[in-house]
Amino acid sequence: MIRQHQFPSRQKAQAQTTATTTMLPMVASTATHSQMVSLDTFPSSSVSEGLEQLALRLEVDVCRDVLPLYGESMKAPLTAGKCCQETKVEEPNMRMGNSSMDGTDGSQLFEDTSGVAAGPQAGYSNQQAGLQAAGFSGQSLLSDPMSNLAMAYGSSLASQGRKWWTRMDLQNGVKRLAIYKVKLDRFIPISKLKYYFAVDTVYVGKKLGLLVFPYMHENWEVSYQQDTPVAPRFDVNAPDLYIPAMAFITYVLVAGLALGTQNKFSPELLGVQASSALVWLIMEVLAVLLSLYLVTVNTDLTTIDLLAFSGYKYVGMIVGVVSGLLFGRPAYYLSLLWCCAAIFVFMIRTLRLKLLSEAAAEGRQVRGSRNQLRMYLTMSIAGAQPSSCSGSPTT
Amino acid sequence: MGDFQPFEQDFYQSGYYIDDQELGINFDHIWQKTLTVLNPFKPADGSIMNETDLTGPVLFCVALGVTLMMAGKAHFGYVYGLSATACIGMYVLLSLMSSLAVSYGCVASVLGYCLLPMVGVSAVAVFCSLQGFLGTVLAVLGISWCSLSASKIFISTMAMEGQQLLVAYPCALLYGLFALLTVF
Repeated sequence: MIRQHQFPSRQKAQAQTTATTTMLPMVASTATHSQMVSLDTFPSSSVSEGLEQLALRLEVDVCRDVLPLYGESMKAPLTAGKCCQETKVEEPNMRMGNSSMDGTDGSQLFEDTSGVAAGPQAGYSNQQAGLQAAGFSGQSLLSDPMSNLAMAYGSSLASQGRKWWTRMDLQNGVKRLAIYKVKLDRFIPISKLKYYFAVDTVYVGKKLGLLVFPYMHENWEVSYQQDTPVAPRFDVNAPDLYIPAMAFITYVLVAGLALGTQNKFSPELLGVQASSALVWLIMEVLAVLLSLYLVTVNTDLTTIDLLAFSGYKYVGMIVGVVSGLLFGRPAYYLSLLWCCAAIFVFMIRTLRLKLLSEAAAEGRQVRGSRNQLRMYLTMSIAGAQPSSCSGSPTT
Repeated sequence: MGDFQPFEQDFYQSGYYIDDQELGINFDHIWQKTLTVLNPFKPADGSIMNETDLTGPVLFCVALGVTLMMAGKAHFGYVYGLSATACIGMYVLLSLMSSLAVSYGCVASVLGYCLLPMVGVSAVAVFCSLQGFLGTVLAVLGISWCSLSASKIFISTMAMEGQQLLVAYPCALLYGLFALLTVF
């Protein structure tokens, strides 16, 4: 109940994905109280719209998550003509409004339990076949927890001897999926993480070029699309997690190799390297978070963004270590110097737009201690990168 | 033992029968998948990974261990630990990068099948040491062959476009670790 009062003030300030994760519990809890319980008395067209609205707000993908509950018996999308562009579900000419019709052909969406017992056999066998066919292209049962949940729910209904589906089943199914999603999103924000991995080869190439040579790039702004940032695939300036993750692993391997060519190669070295590099990374991200919190700067940088930015410096470190391996010590120091300067400039130009106010970011002189504090913060974050870069324990 | 009437074999059920009990090993399919791996430039069919089987990969892992042992290095623990960790890592990465759902068995199966060229490289290591220029060239060749075919199969199975090199890079890291085990 407290969350309901917090909404109007926070919603305007943060039109972010965090809003949906706080919204989900509220929606799920109101779902048990207010409108869902008495939906059987509503006319069927508004039931469908209400359910679809609910599914949209809960961010439940009806095609992927709810349809497999009902298998082939649910061939109609919740509103005619929408949804399911990817799957080959043919659009029937029956709308959901025809729930009073009999279900002899089994392609009925649902009908009331108070209705006539019509054609149960066809519906039931369709559902059984649909449940078995609901697995995604033959993947094993351990694949997708959402489809597992859907299939478990469907088969639990089928094992009760139920012969056709009702509105209440659809509601319950959506509710269960919503609650599961809420619980899952509390631990690992999977949908957020997926955003950071939506990259392609062109983006990675351009970004690597930017990391090593950021001097010619002019426009550093992240483009937005209706308040959500565009996926990294479409915008070079957006941060991603693929490059930092790969760079981290590559750095551990290459540094282990470099240390190993001086002694003998042993796999325990890899473990030691990996742990120490990971500890460095975590401490750095925590330090940046702490400083951002202390300065109370109002920014939309998330923890994952900071992780991504901290991970970008591993690219420079890899370049340094590889050139040191190939060409000797002077090359190592030279390339390290170049990469430190490059990552410094990169961080400044990226963070400037996110931390400073718009006026200062455009380059005009703005007085005020607040902006100076932010400027110092930006410089220190950017400066921490090369220092940890050169302080890394190799050669 | 009377009549030997020919029974119709469905393509997917041409299993190996012993004592009238099906072993569940489909040699036809294993051979098909092996052929796909051996030719990294031919585009792969998206449906070959519809049933995931771990027979081929386990066979190749054992073959790798045997050839390593013949070359004098008993690294079984490292092979198993490495492959398990790498499979998990690859599964996490692919499930984050692709829009379709990925199953762990599929990832393990593909990675195991594409280990075949690495088995060949380590077989060569039995006869002559690989710690020279030629050995490095051979190892690099093996790594790129493995990772190209693995990424090709992943791309076609999961319909990711424009990401082949991105998938090939972690595979190359993984097979590079195996190559390190083979060479050193």
